[in-house]
Parts: sequence; structure tokens; C-alpha cells
Amino acid sequence: MRIKAIAFNTFKEAVRNKVFYLLVVLGIVSALSSVIISMLTLGDKEKILKDVGLASIDFFCVLIAIFTGINLVYKEIEKRTIFNILSKPISRGSFILGKFMGLSLTLLVALSSMTVIFFIFLFLATGSFDFKILAYFFLLYLELLVITSISLLFSSFSTPILSSIFTISLYLIGTVSWTFNEFKNQLTPVANFIGHILYYILPNLAKFNIKNELVLDENLNSYLIFNGILYAVCYTSALLILTMIIFRKREFQ
Amino acid sequence: MKLQIVMKSWLLKIIFVFLIAIAGFLQYEYDNHADYFRAQKTFVTLPPGKTLKILSFGFHNLTADMLYIWSIQFYSNYNLTNSYLYLEDIYNAITDLSPRYKEPYLVGSWIMAIEAKQPEMAIRLLQKGKKNMPDDWMFDSESGYCAYKYKKDLKLAEYYYSLAASNPNAPEFLKRQKAHMIFLEDDWDDAYIVWLDIYKKAKDDLERTSATNHLRQIKFEIDNRMFQARISSFVQTYKRFPRSLNELQRVGLIDEIPKDFDGKDYIYDPSTGQITAQRMSIWKKSF
Repeated sequence: MRIKAIAFNTFKEAVRNKVFYLLVVLGIVSALSSVIISMLTLGDKEKILKDVGLASIDFFCVLIAIFTGINLVYKEIEKRTIFNILSKPISRGSFILGKFMGLSLTLLVALSSMTVIFFIFLFLATGSFDFKILAYFFLLYLELLVITSISLLFSSFSTPILSSIFTISLYLIGTVSWTFNEFKNQLTPVANFIGHILYYILPNLAKFNIKNELVLDENLNSYLIFNGILYAVCYTSALLILTMIIFRKREFQ
Repeated sequence: MKLQIVMKSWLLKIIFVFLIAIAGFLQYEYDNHADYFRAQKTFVTLPPGKTLKILSFGFHNLTADMLYIWSIQFYSNYNLTNSYLYLEDIYNAITDLSPRYKEPYLVGSWIMAIEAKQPEMAIRLLQKGKKNMPDDWMFDSESGYCAYKYKKDLKLAEYYYSLAASNPNAPEFLKRQKAHMIFLEDDWDDAYIVWLDIYKKAKDDLERTSATNHLRQIKFEIDNRMFQARISSFVQTYKRFPRSLNELQRVGLIDEIPKDFDGKDYIYDPSTGQITAQRMSIWKKSF
């Protein structure tokens, strides 16, 4: 119940944020502008529509996850409201979990609204529903949960600027970490060993990206999707636990 | 002593409007003197496709799309005098970013073959597409057309049309394209065999009619070649043209007088020694 209260409170606070609305509107406008860009192409306009639309929604939702998440805990500490909350019979772990669930709900609302509008728009533009897009948005949501847990982790002990730098860096690393498989054999044994450790510890976000299969109308590999779901659950849970450990040891003055 | 400039609000507004008007006028004068569409050189630098894929941070499909759209606008700009220097690099980058995106291969090959007049470059790009999408017959078909139309290499065209036709998903017309290439190479005997096969396996009237029209001409060409050789021998011996084709048979120059593809007799002109068929379609030999 306490976690639920913190979650709803976090959600209400996030949706009242002007930056949140701005990013959602920008995401929708950017997705809908794909129709103008598609006029400039020769050939498959539907591919351009989907590509630009999905990429816009992806990009802006990631921004929401990062810039809302980095302030989640820090703001409470800065405004000293943390003392009020922790004076209640609520554990620090529950507080973190509530914050995470609140932001997850915020992202779900943002993503759902963008998805519905994009779906309608795509139907009007192409005359057909592509239900594979739902699979894409589901995996995108899982990716956003991972990014949220990363931003929450840094928010629990760092300032917003540093948290944003670290979160964005890990996001970028996560999108390119798959390239390690291409050059690992060229490394020295020690570098290869260290590289492998980092490769498995740092997040790998490429597995949530099925844009290629979607826009080129290729078959989805159900095993890889299931693997991605489990990975998101495990990784997010691990980061939340780490956040709780760090936050428990934190002293407030 | 400090200098203070105090201006009334209305004066400031007038000066603002005046300055904007001056700026607008200067722009107008600039546009009148500048030649935006003069012939000029350009410079394009792109990282290799694999590097771009990493630098796109998961948005490689979007990057491929944007690059492709930009390339269409870039190559629509005919006042750039050296734009074709970068053609292959640009389309290699796009296709490396999104190897299974079909349009860049096709559009790129058209620009290479038609505008840049580089059919080998076009075929290279198309074969790259085939390597990435081996089930698609379009790349071999387009390579064949490129070899035929722009490279004027009938043998190569025949090779690619043959590959395209062997694809289980390929439409029937590709076999006709292959057969036509063989005909254009003046290999009438092989062309006859290939067209006859198409005729026998034709699935619709269009295919059958097309095959019939080709076979009429090819049969005529084969028979005419034989007739002219025999008539030449007759002329050497008898110093005149034969009065009829039967005379060739009587003197033993031919065993049997062949008929045209429709089973009708050829028409012989004894004054010129020329043969014509009662019904024939002439396909262009030169291209």
C-alpha cells in the first residue's frame, strides 16, 4: 500500500512536469512529421513512415526516462521532503521501489498515448494495421524500464547533471555493446578478458531493438524476444536492488 | 563622465523596422546577383557503413533512410559537376547500414547506369543486394537489363537473366528475356530451343503469343541461312537463280523443303533469290 502511494504520488508529480508534456508532444509531432519526410523518398513510403515514427517515439521516450528519472530521488533530498517520507513507517527499499513504479507508470502512459496516436496515423496513411508494432513497443517499454532503473540508481547518490551524464553514457554503451563481438578476437588476452566482463555487466540494449524486423517485414524470433524479456526483468531487478543497497547506507543531513 | 543614451520607445521601434527593411533589401540584392544554380563542384565525406552503424546508436535504419532521402535530393541537383565521384561510397554506406533495404540498391543502380554511365558500378551494387537478399530475383534481373542496355554485353546479360529465371519466385517473362539475349547474340539454334521450350510450357496466351512471334522469326532466320547457302551454290553452278525452291530439291542441294513455324510454305522470289515467310514478326537486332 505504501509503495502504491509513493508510486501514484511520483506519477502525479511527473505528469505535472512541463518537460514531460513537452517531450510527449514533441515525440508525437516528430512521429507524425514522418509523412512529410516520406514524400521525399523514391520507393517504399511505408518503410520511411514506420522508421521515422518509431525512431521518434523511441528517442523521446528515452529522454523522458532519463530526464525524469535523474531527478526522482535527488529532488526529494534537495527539498528535504525525504525526511518527511522516511519518518513514516516505510523502508528505504519500499521508497525506491515506489519511485521506480511511479516512473514506470508515467512512461507507460506516455508510450501508450504515443502508440495509439501513431497506430491511428499509420492506419490512415497505409490502410492497414501492423500488429508487430505492438511487439516493438512492448520491447521498447522494457528497454525504458532498464534505462529508468539506471537513472534511478545514479539519482540515489549523485547530482542531476552527473546522473544524466552517466545515464546517457550507459545508454549509448548499451546501444553499441553488440560491436564487441566483432572485434573481441583482435584484443590481447587480458583486454579480451576485461572486455568480456564489462560486456556482460554493462547493459545490452540492442536486444530490444526490433525496428529492422519490423520495417522490413521479417519474422520475429520468439526465443530472442523471450530472452529479452527475461533479461530486462533480471537486469532491472538487479539495478533496483543495488539502488536500495546504496540508498540504505546513505546519510541525510 | 558616463555617456547615457536614452531613447524613446517609439524611436527604437522605428529603428528596428528600418534595420529589418535594410536587411531585407540587402537580401533581395544578394539574390539578384548570386547564381544559386551555377555549375559547381561539391565535396562529400562519409564514414564507412560499418562505422556509421555504430555511430547511429541503434538508429541505423533511420540513418539509412535519411541518407537515402538526402542522396535522392543530392542526385537531383544537376549543377553539381563532380557528384558522381561519391556515388558508390554513398550507396555502399546506405546499404551497409540497412543491408535488406531494397530501394537504395535499385535506385542507386539506376543513377549509376543511366546518369553516371557506369554500368559496372551499377551491377556491383545490384550483386551486393543479391548477396544480402538471395531470394530476391529482382537484382539479377536488373543486372541483366543493365548489362544489355548500358554495357551492351549480351553474354553477361544472358548470364544474369538465366540466374534470375532460375529463382523459384521469378516471373515467367525472365525466361523470355534470357531467350531474347541468346537471339540477339545471333545464336539462333539455341534461341530456337529456348523459345520452343517456353512455347511448350506457356501458361497463358500472352506467353504463347510472344513465343510464337519470336519462333516465327528465328525459324525463318535459320531456314533462310540454309536457303541462301543453297541458292548461292545453285547460282555458282547454274549462273542463275533457281526458278523455285523445288528446283533446289531436284538438283539435290536440299533433301526436304522446310516450312515456316506455322507449317506454311516460304515465299520465294525467283528474280532476286530472296525468301520471305507468309507471316513474321521482326524483332530489333541492334540496340
